[in-house]
Amino acid sequence: MIFTHFKIGFRNIIKNKAFFSLNAGGLTIGFTAVLLISLWVYSELSYNSSLTNYNNIAAVMQHQNWGDEVRTYTGQPMQLAPVLREEYGNHFKHVATSARAREYNVKYNNEMLRVEGRFAEPDLAHMLDLKILAGSRDALQDITSVLISESTAKNIFGVEDPMGKVITINNNMEVKVAGIYEDLRNNTSFTDLNFIAPFELLKKTNDYDSRLGWGNYWFQVYVQLNDKNALENAAMAIKGIFTEKYTERNKERNYRLFLFPMSKWHLYSDFENGVSVGGRITYVKTFGIIGLFILLLACINYMNLSTAHALKRGKEVGVRKTLGSSKRQLVFQFFTESFLIILFAFGVALILTTVLLPAFNTLTLKEVAIPFASPLFWLICLVLIGITAVLSSLYPSFYLSAFKPVKVLKGLKTNNKTAVSLRKGLIVLQFAISSILIIGTITVVGQINHAKNRPLGFDKDLLVSVPIRTDKVLQSIDAIKNELLTSKYIAQVTASDVRITSTYTTNGGDFDWRNKDPKMEPEFYTIRATEGFGKMIDWNILEGRDFSAKFPSDSLAFLVNETAVDYMSLENPVGEYVRWGDNGTYKIIGVVENMVTRSPFDPDVPSLYILHKGRFLNWVNIKIASGNTNVVEGALDKMKEVFQKYNPENLFYYTFIDEEYERKFNAEQRIAKLVAIFALVAIFISCLGVLGLSTYMAIQRKKEIGIRKVLGASIRTIWKLLSKQFIVLVLIALVIAIPLGYYFSLQWLQEYSYRMTLNIWIFIGAGAIVLGISLITVSFQAIKAAIANPVNSLRTE
Amino acid sequence: MANIILSLHEASRTVNSGSNKVTILDDINLQVEEGEFISLMGPSGSGKSTLLNCIGMLDAFTDGEYAFLGQSVHRMKEKDRSKLYKEYIGFVFQAYHLIDELKVYENIETPLLYKGVKASERKAMVADMLDRFGVVGKKDLFPQQLSGGQQQLVGIMRALIGSPKLILADEPTGNLNSKQSTEIMELFAELNKEGATIIQATHSENNAAYGSRIVNLLDGKIVSQ
Repeated sequence: MIFTHFKIGFRNIIKNKAFFSLNAGGLTIGFTAVLLISLWVYSELSYNSSLTNYNNIAAVMQHQNWGDEVRTYTGQPMQLAPVLREEYGNHFKHVATSARAREYNVKYNNEMLRVEGRFAEPDLAHMLDLKILAGSRDALQDITSVLISESTAKNIFGVEDPMGKVITINNNMEVKVAGIYEDLRNNTSFTDLNFIAPFELLKKTNDYDSRLGWGNYWFQVYVQLNDKNALENAAMAIKGIFTEKYTERNKERNYRLFLFPMSKWHLYSDFENGVSVGGRITYVKTFGIIGLFILLLACINYMNLSTAHALKRGKEVGVRKTLGSSKRQLVFQFFTESFLIILFAFGVALILTTVLLPAFNTLTLKEVAIPFASPLFWLICLVLIGITAVLSSLYPSFYLSAFKPVKVLKGLKTNNKTAVSLRKGLIVLQFAISSILIIGTITVVGQINHAKNRPLGFDKDLLVSVPIRTDKVLQSIDAIKNELLTSKYIAQVTASDVRITSTYTTNGGDFDWRNKDPKMEPEFYTIRATEGFGKMIDWNILEGRDFSAKFPSDSLAFLVNETAVDYMSLENPVGEYVRWGDNGTYKIIGVVENMVTRSPFDPDVPSLYILHKGRFLNWVNIKIASGNTNVVEGALDKMKEVFQKYNPENLFYYTFIDEEYERKFNAEQRIAKLVAIFALVAIFISCLGVLGLSTYMAIQRKKEIGIRKVLGASIRTIWKLLSKQFIVLVLIALVIAIPLGYYFSLQWLQEYSYRMTLNIWIFIGAGAIVLGISLITVSFQAIKAAIANPVNSLRTE
Repeated sequence: MANIILSLHEASRTVNSGSNKVTILDDINLQVEEGEFISLMGPSGSGKSTLLNCIGMLDAFTDGEYAFLGQSVHRMKEKDRSKLYKEYIGFVFQAYHLIDELKVYENIETPLLYKGVKASERKAMVADMLDRFGVVGKKDLFPQQLSGGQQQLVGIMRALIGSPKLILADEPTGNLNSKQSTEIMELFAELNKEGATIIQATHSENNAAYGSRIVNLLDGKIVSQ
């Protein structure tokens, strides 16, 4: 019997190719989208889980009070880990301090490479359960050793045996390779860990012992618990360590340590006022919901097309019933047929997913693969197919099997009212979901454009920054500047502590000025730069003047931005004095228009600009002269020449400020692309459904259209007649979608301080798009029906 | 006396059309004996098809009594009723109503599938049937590839395959030309001679003449039998 069902199903597919394509096509696209989203969601949820001690590793973090606000930091002082080991050792299996991962210059035999790695205490190798291919995992106990990953070993040494070879890190730390470990798997916080060098070496080289105290929380501290259930206890035990050990602390800060388990690092990294408020999990949820919606759309499509197709199958149902088929047998037959189509669609979707995955990975910056070998994957596929089969086929199967043979055999129209209104309701639902996604897309794109159009306050073009890596460069700034300026391609040269697009240095506490609110604990962003920096970036001075060599006293002067003026509640800022702890009393000589110096989505922050020379300067900034041809190449050649002269040990490295700025939009742009793609998929599936339904509507009303044409109806009136009811449905969908879309968009925008206001045009735009697309789809059929020769349609009756 | 296959006693069927009650069949009294070949005659709308459908249990009488092989059909549940007609009744339609997606062979086989006959047995029965009507060569064709008369022949074979006690034929020659009609009617007469009980609804006096008894209907009432 089941074989017969498959046979009939197959013959039906062959016979109704168009119907089948619409049906299976919609399902395939839906499945593909759902598979891609599932793979992405799975990859996000399983982040870090490939690490052996995933459940037992935690980062030590801290909360601090800043006035009414609680701030959360990942950094810890280097003094913490020894205390944890000595006094709280019973709670932890391993404790390791690590400097943050960054790129270092690694030199071997005069060949130089940029390699990302960490300086960390020996326990890190144990926590990460590194698979040692050669040497020893304990090698880091020796201050002159380094562990490197397999791929890095190949990059540096090629076919040579790396063991025992000496490499130089950042020109001043020599270490010999004492161990090689298997590269860590993708999708972890430590994936790019290409080497681990001894933390003690970093300490010694930079003389941290004499320089850094409890107040310098520059490092990360990781712990591995004996038992994952012991997290709460361990966290309670170590909570007050700062209070006990950090004698010169600011008591109002109320430092509190806590443990943040590895399982939460990736998805729950946001803290607000000391409370975890999620993070990437929001995106995981959003895309998960979008995936479910798309699956739902595909199922609805299937349902609608199948019940409409029932017109054609009605006779078969009638005949089969008179031949003795029970209702259950018919339900089973139709269900089998659907199952065949669903299975086929899923197979094609798997192929499609495999084909699209590389592009999807590029878009999402992931390295996801379909886990064909995993039983769990196939189980999930099975569940997915099952859910789809139930959602999409159960109703049509019952609907078809319930036909009364006498009626269908007489050729009566089998369009009962509930089925029709159900179909209409489902179309409304489809278009409502599609509309919400389109509103979302417009909002995300709009917000990105809004931020892109934000007045920068400075000129980012033709600006290049080169890092100052050695003391020699730092001491030779003037000479470098003069040499660079001999080139006709280079207009200006200055040095600064931060790049103007990434000003993250703050100074707090010890500021005082006239009429300052005594309860206020001020904190300012500070930017230190040599003379001419402001002119170079073309900032706008609203009041007062720029720094000038003519005034030697400018070494004790601030330029402040507009936000700082408000922050300090100064009415006439220029000429006011600000005492800054032991650094001296500074005079405000000018007010600068606000500049976007961090993320374009962040609010403006109170900033102080300081004329500065010597230590702390990290970047040489170069403005390329405009006007000449090949200026950029010419300028870069000159820079390379000069910097290699003063800094031969390091590779010449530079960044363009405009590119740096552009990069700040990457995350949002990725989301915009994803939402846009899925919105397109949604509207496409919905349109497939409408196309199918309008086709059947046209078949069903063939006679009516024929009669109307004979009576003199024009093509236009018939087109209107057939299109009208769909347009009404789309309009209802919009009425439902717009408030929901408004709500979701508003929620999303709340995450950004600098955000656009939702105006009516977004919704009018989304409405026009949805209405336009559906109108084109419906018209396709309506016009075809309207231009058909009435003689043909009337003869068929 | 021959066995009585079915008997109707004051059977009626009324339907609600809007606010009006319309009587389609009115106080029908009829007895059919085994081996009879009855022709139901009457103009369009006289209730022939409805009576046939009601006898075939595809429709139900709203009033009166209907006994089939001594069992009261009007008191049965839908499920038992379908069991009954599955077992004992074969249908032949004016528009043949073959399943387009099935080959001749498969169309004939379908009722056996629903009866749960084993595959080997089914094969033998269908082969016998094809042989008996001389259409073995056409068994792998689809219905559209056959002429109307051939399609109706398949329809009859499909009705006969389950060895029904009663064959109901609604205008079996309505879509056929006169030559094909004659062939089909002669086939019915032959089947009747071999013992099949047949009730046909027809417009044509010629066709009606093949029957052993003619029942005339007008406006839902039997006017003569």
